Amino acid sequence: MTKPILYALPILMAAGVAHATNYEDMAPEEILEALIDKTGSNYLNQSPQNRQMMPDNPALWLVDEGEELFYEARGPKNASLEGCDFGKGPGVLEGAYVEMPRYFADVDKVMDLEARLVHCMTTLQGFKKSDAPVKKRHGSGSDFMKLQTFISAQSNGKKWNPPLDHPQEKAMRDAGEVMFYRRAGPMDFSCQTCHGDTGKRIRASVLPNINEPEEWTKAISWPAERAGQLNVRSTQHRLRGCLWQMRHPQIIAGSDASTALISYWTDAARGQPAILPDLKR
Amino acid sequence: MLNNILKKAALAATCVGLLVGFNTAYAGGHGGKVDITKMTPEQLAEHLIFNSGGFKLEQKVQEGGVSRQRLEQDDLQKACSVTGGGAVDANTSVKVMNMARNDIKYPKGGIKLGDWKIGRELAWSGYGYRVGHRTDNHSTTKYGPGGNCYNCHQMATDRTGGNIGPVLTNYGKLRGSSDAILKYTYEVIYNPHAYFPCTNMPRIGAQNVLTEEQISHVMAYLFDPESPVNK
Repeated sequence: MTKPILYALPILMAAGVAHATNYEDMAPEEILEALIDKTGSNYLNQSPQNRQMMPDNPALWLVDEGEELFYEARGPKNASLEGCDFGKGPGVLEGAYVEMPRYFADVDKVMDLEARLVHCMTTLQGFKKSDAPVKKRHGSGSDFMKLQTFISAQSNGKKWNPPLDHPQEKAMRDAGEVMFYRRAGPMDFSCQTCHGDTGKRIRASVLPNINEPEEWTKAISWPAERAGQLNVRSTQHRLRGCLWQMRHPQIIAGSDASTALISYWTDAARGQPAILPDLKR
Repeated sequence: MLNNILKKAALAATCVGLLVGFNTAYAGGHGGKVDITKMTPEQLAEHLIFNSGGFKLEQKVQEGGVSRQRLEQDDLQKACSVTGGGAVDANTSVKVMNMARNDIKYPKGGIKLGDWKIGRELAWSGYGYRVGHRTDNHSTTKYGPGGNCYNCHQMATDRTGGNIGPVLTNYGKLRGSSDAILKYTYEVIYNPHAYFPCTNMPRIGAQNVLTEEQISHVMAYLFDPESPVNK
């Protein structure tokens, strides 16, 4: 009598996996596997070796180190970052990152994580922009990347849902869209040149398509360890790298121009689960 | 002195113009503030690019001048930028093809094939014209800035090319090397919009990515029977 139940068990389990839209309980590599199963995307699938490394992602160290830094009293004002509001109330980090960039009333503008973190480190903790913890933005050894990696990891598996209710949020997203498709420079490139089609490659690298949200969520899931650079990199670092290859001038991290582009590209991944921290080629 | 102050004030007033909103937090030109919700997306994009400190606009660039000019669009770039993606309409296509056709300049001594071995290096090289951090120094590479061809095209099969553009393997072998096909190929490299309006491909000649001589080497790489492209 028990046999039919036993036979049914694998089917039930398989159904459970197929039905597993609850990404919030999954590790980053499990979210990625689920998206690959769903789409068969060459972009998501391009490096099995990198996927194998994800359970030991070096970025996970930064999550731990960032947590310590976040709760530590620091700076001339000897304050922790618990007083920093990332959009869901002071010190509330769960799901905050997938709802950025967003409008912040205290500064009357739209900010991404980078700009907000600079704001809190300078106002709450009293650091100057020229102080190393704020000034040094790149590299796994930087306080800034540790903090970003910790804060964003509290949104792993949550669905991208940047708010567009405030007129400024809508304005920035729409301007970012114009910028994304705006061709310029000696090569006539826009972001769309590389990110408007599925299965396209620059040399051997498969490119994500902004019109495929399941691909695009991985494309925008930063911070991520970049296996080729042996460093954890940020959204702003990715943006800078793209514009460099496009032969456009360098964008300023945390600037309103960068926020607009990030507002548009985050909106394009709306509804898909964030993979944080990620590991990329 | 007073004259200078007045001039500056007048300049600032002109810059903020209709977009003034002094209680907002977005920088305008000359220290003013702007209300971003009063602008169209296009106006705001231009504002963010040129007037809000978003880019390093004053950096020297390899072609001379400063990086600002890299973000200033010419007519073709404007016509071919479609917000949200998708193809341009038929009228724009015709306009762009004519614009491109009028733009093409031919080598004085006629279209000739150079050295396929140099062409091979130029087609492979993704170097050149990058600015910001790690600015490319054109004088330190043997053949100058590269053509970046392999970024998007599979050419010979001994190296891996991208697939944003079509496969060019056996290019000359399949097409021969009549004057007509040489002219067509030169034109596509020089300004591909003459045939493919609003293509993703850069205007290699019209934008001075490669010189006339460099293009002759890349063409040799495509046409020479000894070139790996045709082997």
